[in-house]
Amino acid sequence: MNSETQQIAINPTRDDYRIAWLTALAITIHIVESALPSPLPGIKPGLANVITIVVLLMYGWPTAAWVGILRVIVGSLVIGTFLTPTFVLSLSGAVASITVLGIGSKLPGKGLGPVGYCLLASMAHMATQFSVAYLLFIPHDGLFKLLPVLMTASVIFGIVSGLIVNAIMDRLR
Amino acid sequence: MTRADYIVVIFALLLVPFLFTRYWQAPAQGETAEILIGSDKKIEVSLNKDQELNVEGPLGASVIRVHDGKVRFIDSPCRGKQCIHSGWLQHSGDFAACLPNRISVAVLGSKRRYDAINF
Repeated sequence: MNSETQQIAINPTRDDYRIAWLTALAITIHIVESALPSPLPGIKPGLANVITIVVLLMYGWPTAAWVGILRVIVGSLVIGTFLTPTFVLSLSGAVASITVLGIGSKLPGKGLGPVGYCLLASMAHMATQFSVAYLLFIPHDGLFKLLPVLMTASVIFGIVSGLIVNAIMDRLR
Repeated sequence: MTRADYIVVIFALLLVPFLFTRYWQAPAQGETAEILIGSDKKIEVSLNKDQELNVEGPLGASVIRVHDGKVRFIDSPCRGKQCIHSGWLQHSGDFAACLPNRISVAVLGSKRRYDAINF
């Protein structure tokens, strides 16, 4: 028999391994966090983002982007929200914060530190999620009553996770 | 903390109070009241003109009063009088209904929207 099967060899690079390990870490945090109760839908600490920022500071933006996006996709597969509205919100938030981080890392001079990155990412995440929720799922003006509360939460958690990243970076150095 | 960090933090701390003042204001004043009778008959009245309407429902006449940009049920031939207890309606989106008499009053603003979309 003439078989035309070809062997497809994938040679993972060191970067691939690194992305995989870091993503696994972020997914773990993502899952643990999804089990935490939340006082208000839409508010959660976003600790998985800590990993994204640490990766950004240590390995640069492309690796951070991989980790950030993969974390959302694989995390949603594990939790069981893949392709649900939750997933749409989660992915749009992740894409927005990755984009903002990309722009932020291009800043001249000393640029941003952990707190600045975390805060920007957290606010971009919340603003985008809110817009997507408003445009796609709940196009009612009453939703805007929630915006100040949600943004306050995102600012607080953004600063807190920035401080956590600071502490992690101190240990790693 | 770099200088850019401080700028981001200050921006965030200014944004939050701005959002609170922007979105936690009193709701928009209504412009018209839409009275729905049964499931198909609709009357739209302006809130600017004071008047009293007798609206005929299956049980009898409900009295609806428009006064000073506000609207309310004054009387209705129902048992619970929930509609009357709803009181004055004036903000866009306010709503009162007399279910036994199948009459509802909704205050409308400049824009009409969905309540929510459900999946």
